[in-house]
Order: sequence, then C-alpha cells, then structure tokens
Amino acid sequence: MLKAAIVGCGKIADSHAAQMGRIRNCEIVAVCDREPLMARQLKERFPVKAAYSNLAELLREARPDVVHITTPPESHFQLAGMCLDAGCHVYVEKPFTLTEQEARKLIAHAHERGLKITAGHDDQFTHVARRMRALVNSGFLGSSPVHMESYYCYELADTGYAGALLGDKRHWVRKLPGKLLHNVISHGIARVAEYFSTDDVEVLAYGFISPYLRSRGETEIIDELRVIITETGGPTAYFTFSSQMRPSLHLFRIYGNKNGLILDHDQETLIKLRGARYKSYAEKFVPPVNFARQYLGNLRTNLRCFLARDFHMKSGMKCLIEAFYQSIVNDGPVPIPYREIVLTAKIMDAIFLQLDQGRSVEARVASPQAASKD
Amino acid sequence: MTEHMSQTEQQASVISRDDVALVTGATGFIGPRVVQNLVNRGFRRVRVLVRPSASSSETKVLLQQAGQNDLQVIYGNLLSMDDCIAATEDARVIIHLAAGRGEKSIPDAYLNSVVTTRNLLEASLLHRCLLRFVNLSSFSVYANDGRTPGKRLDETWPVEQHPERRGDAYSFAKARQEELVVEYSKKYGIPCVMIRPGWVYGPGNTAITGRVGIGSFGVFLHLGGSNRIPLSYVDNCAEAITLAALVPGVDGEVFNIVDDDLLSSRQLLRLYKRHVRRFSSLYVPKFLSYSLCYFWERYSAWSEGQLPPAFNRCRWNSFWRKTYYSNDKLKKALGWMPIISTQEGLRRYFEACRRKDAHA
Repeated sequence: MLKAAIVGCGKIADSHAAQMGRIRNCEIVAVCDREPLMARQLKERFPVKAAYSNLAELLREARPDVVHITTPPESHFQLAGMCLDAGCHVYVEKPFTLTEQEARKLIAHAHERGLKITAGHDDQFTHVARRMRALVNSGFLGSSPVHMESYYCYELADTGYAGALLGDKRHWVRKLPGKLLHNVISHGIARVAEYFSTDDVEVLAYGFISPYLRSRGETEIIDELRVIITETGGPTAYFTFSSQMRPSLHLFRIYGNKNGLILDHDQETLIKLRGARYKSYAEKFVPPVNFARQYLGNLRTNLRCFLARDFHMKSGMKCLIEAFYQSIVNDGPVPIPYREIVLTAKIMDAIFLQLDQGRSVEARVASPQAASKD
Repeated sequence: MTEHMSQTEQQASVISRDDVALVTGATGFIGPRVVQNLVNRGFRRVRVLVRPSASSSETKVLLQQAGQNDLQVIYGNLLSMDDCIAATEDARVIIHLAAGRGEKSIPDAYLNSVVTTRNLLEASLLHRCLLRFVNLSSFSVYANDGRTPGKRLDETWPVEQHPERRGDAYSFAKARQEELVVEYSKKYGIPCVMIRPGWVYGPGNTAITGRVGIGSFGVFLHLGGSNRIPLSYVDNCAEAITLAALVPGVDGEVFNIVDDDLLSSRQLLRLYKRHVRRFSSLYVPKFLSYSLCYFWERYSAWSEGQLPPAFNRCRWNSFWRKTYYSNDKLKKALGWMPIISTQEGLRRYFEACRRKDAHA
C-alpha cells in the first residue's frame, strides 16, 4: 500500500484526493495546509487519516511514500525539496517550478536521492491524448512531426478565480514571473514540448493586454499570447493563449509529412487528417463524410468510456497518478520524461523573458523622456 | 415606512449612535441596504470593508446612498489578517454579510466563508470591544430530512450534520461557518446572533431560485410545485439584519427571515412568466424528482464521482420537500415587520428582471 500525502488544500487538491481515492493500493495518510481550517475541510470530506499545518511535522509523523504538491507555484521548489530530503517521491502540480533552473535542480535532487518526481501535466494523459500518442508512435503522421499548433485559452470572467485576480493587486498570481500566463499555459506548452526531440529550441513570443482588460484598467496581466517555437532541424510550433477568442479552445494539431491529427481536449475528440487528396470534386464530398464518420466514432468511444465509469473530468489525472505510482513501485520509467518537464520550463522562461523585454520597450516608447535618459 | 423607522429608532440599542458598526460585504446584494438602514437610524460611524475588487461604481453608489460623511470605507480582503485587524478596530457591532457566493468548488467557498469569518473573529478579539457579531447564514444549513418535527420550519429545527453530502459548496461553507461562529462564541464569549434568510430576492438578484426549479437541462424543470417559497424581499431582509444587530437581549439567538404572504412555487413561476418573460417549463412531480435525485446520488457514488453529486436526497429535502415557514420569532423578539409587502416586492423584482432581460 503506497502512503500518499497532499500539501496544499485548495481547489486542485480536491481533484487529487478524488482521483487518488479511485486508485487501488494507495491511501491518503495526511493532508497539509498552512491554513489549518483548509486542511481540516479536506480531511473531513475525503478518507484522510490526519491533517497538518506544518509540512515538516507531516513528513516526520505520517511518513508518506509520495507527496502531491498542490500549493501555489512559488512554493513548489522549496516544498518539493523538503519532501525529497525526507525520502518521498513527489508529484508537483503545474507549473512544475518558476524557472527552468529550478526544474533542473529539483530533478537533479530527486536523481541524487534515488527518488522520482513528476509534473502535473495531466491533460496529456486523458483518453484522447493517449489515443493520439499511440497513433503518433505507430507512425500515422508518416514522419516525425513537421509542425504543431497548440491552443490553450482561458475565459476571464468577473467571478471566481479570475474575478479575484483582476480585482486584487496583491493576488499571488501577479507575483509570478509570467503572472496569469505562468499559472495557466504549461498544459498547452507541455503538449508541444512532448514532440520536440531536443531542447535546442528558439522561441519568439508576442503578448499583450486585451482591450477588454485594458478597459477594466488592467496594466499588468497579459492575457493574449502568440508564440512561435522552432527546433533546429526539427519541428516548428505555434502556441496561442487567448482570454478573448471564442470558442475558448483547448486544441492541439500535429502534422507529419503524410497525415495530421486534431485533438480537441474539451470535446475529447481525435480527428485524423488525411494527407492525400481525393481527385477533383471527390475532395469536396468525401472528406466531410469521412469527418462525420470520425466524429461518430469519437462519440461512440466517449460513450463507451462513460458507461464503463472511466470518463471522469479528471481522468487524465488519475491515469498520470497511477502511472507515476507504478513507476515508483516497479522502479520503472517516469510517465513524463524529465527532458520534457525541463523543456516546458525552458520555453516558458523564454516567453516570459521576451514579454518582460517587450514591456520595457513599450514603457520606453510610451515615455520618450525616460528613454532619452537611458 | 417612516412610522416604522420612528418606532425602531425609539427602541434601545446595544450600541450608541457614535459607536463603530462594521459591515462586511457592504457592496453585495443585501449590504448596501443594511448600511443605509444604519445611517438612516442615525449611526454616525458606520464602517464598511470593501474588497479591492469591488468596482469603483459599486462603492460610489454605496457612498452616495449612505452619505459620504457617515461612512468610512476600508479597502481590504478578509483573507488578510492585517486588513481584518484594521477593519475591526473599535468596532462594537460587526454585521458579517460577506460570503463566498457563486463559488462552485468547496475549497473556494470554504476559504471565502469560513477562513474569512475566523479571521474577522480573531481580529475582533484583539480589540476587546465587540458587543455583537451578526452572522449571515442561510436556510440551507437546516437538515430537512423528513425526520424533523412537523413541516413548519422554525429556528428549532436541527442543522445539517453532514453538509458535504449536499454536494453544494455554498451549503457546506455556510454550515461550517455557523459552527465556527458558535465555537468562538462559546470559547471566547463573543455575543453572536445568527441570521438565516430564505430566498432573498429583489433588484440585484434577478435569478429565479432553484427552489422553483432548474434550467440546466435545456428546458426549465419545475420542481417546486405547490411548495411555499421562503421569500425574503431584500429590504425586509436588511431590516431584520439591522434589528438583529441593534436590539438588546438576543445574544446567542438564531432568526429565520421570511416575509409574510408567501407564494407557492407554482404561483411564483406563473407570475414570473406573466411579468418577465414567457418560456416553457415542465412540471416534475415530487415522486419523480425524488427518484431522479436518488438515482443520481446512487450513480454518482457507484461511478466514483463521474457525475458530481449535484442532485441528491439531501438537496431534494432541503430544496423541494414541502415545507412551511415561520417568522414568529423574528416578529416577537426583534419587533420586525416587513416594510415592503410581497406584492410590492415582486413588482420591483419583476421590473428589475425585465430591465436585465432588455439589456441582455
């Protein structure tokens, strides 16, 4: 029986506790939050043995095998380090760390201690993401990927998380290097990082504050981002984050030299794009029929998963946790290669650096006097 | 209304007109009316704690309504202990209306209702001057499971012991918030009054209550049938809260807030359709809605949460079980009387709904 603990008892901790509860041979021995009331409410609602407000105490007394870090990102590095020091394997929610350097250090730390660590990129483990991976690995694309497009959008509303963030200049998300983007885009970036074969990538990022946010007087939060990522001698990728475009997509397209695939995370559909064209008017009539057939197939698959009680909103998280636990128990490979975690952090670092530089340029343009003083 | 005001003004109050009265959630739905009530009663040091996220227009309206000189606005977050300490300084009465409404996740609702309340109570303890803490709770904390005595819900009804089974973040947070307030009251002798309103309606809350039915599945499912809806017009509710904060001798008491002349769900729906907009609705008989809730609950458990337990027997009992309501205690102990009749309240509510629809 694997003894697990959760550190950080906010919203995402609920998903962890629920999915861990569905995994056999695992028990939640403790939860921890700096705010004792938050630890108490999680313990009350899930089968958890003990609640703590001090991580050191939890590690000493509950002695978990694996710890899930579900706190705000700025604390990931330190808390994960403490858990590794205590001999625990660690599952760190996304974003893994604040910087690539921290990601490298944390992975090296785990390696030194003979422990395993993973990042909460659970979107890559949904049913549809696994089907896509299997197709890509089977050679469906005809070659290694040529180009990818990843959309990861986020609807900003006046309520909930976004409302609190927009209205509070002291909100913790504002203190992250990439602010809102830092907390949201890693799923979309990790998708493309999976299919780059080296970490020799160039990043070109352009971000801006949407007119909607500007009209609300927002001057810090960048909520529109367009990125081009290129690997030397390898694939290229576009990444789009938008708070304004509708539909608010969570979509991934990948193209080889023969065929392509479209994964829609929201609808959990996977569509095959045939590279070869039909002759003449057949191209106008056959593909729509083919797409209709594929969508029906997706419906059938989704229904089958649902009827089999395996279509939870966080089914990807369960799969990732299960795979991570398997790797711990069997001392096998981790479900997300470390190279991929580091590359995701590297791309994010490059994006935020360029956005920062862009902001500086913008500030200088807006204030020519300051620029001339420079 | 003037006559009523003069009556209540003559009543003794737990605080003097120069004492500080703090109102949290003052820019919310009920808050501005409570602030207005206090100012109208001549309280000269009304303080409001306003979230930094509150729009400047909301705060401006509040200031305009109450009169700039009688209101002290403190911008802060109840999650910040420093902000709570600043807000509670010298406060003799705290009317705690702020809550995590509209939160879908339990941790978020809990954080914004329970943790914030704890901070406020802790901060008030530091100043040692609090004479009354009024906590705005909800009808949703009642355990209406059929084992309760009779069908007339009053303040003696038991409170839900397992609010997590309701599958509703707001109910869970409110139940635990009440527990916390009672715990602090017993432990530190904080004089508390608990307020549990029914469905507070009026301009500012134009949504039709779930007690009537739900529109989540494409067609409006009418679930309330002949049930009475525990209506509380916002001005009447604010009046009751104000009295609960001021009337001496009610420490430790709980008050349900409902108006007189309650309508049935069917009547309310019919009037809504007539005065606001027409839409099709489907009446779901009680045995069917209960069965659906039962099967949903069972499926949710069997499927390990593939469908969240949004519909379940606890919720059905709380929302759709036939129940009658009493405001006797409110009238007797606080001398409360509705200042707006149900007929007039509904007229204003429907008008606000129409305006909102026109702007949508």
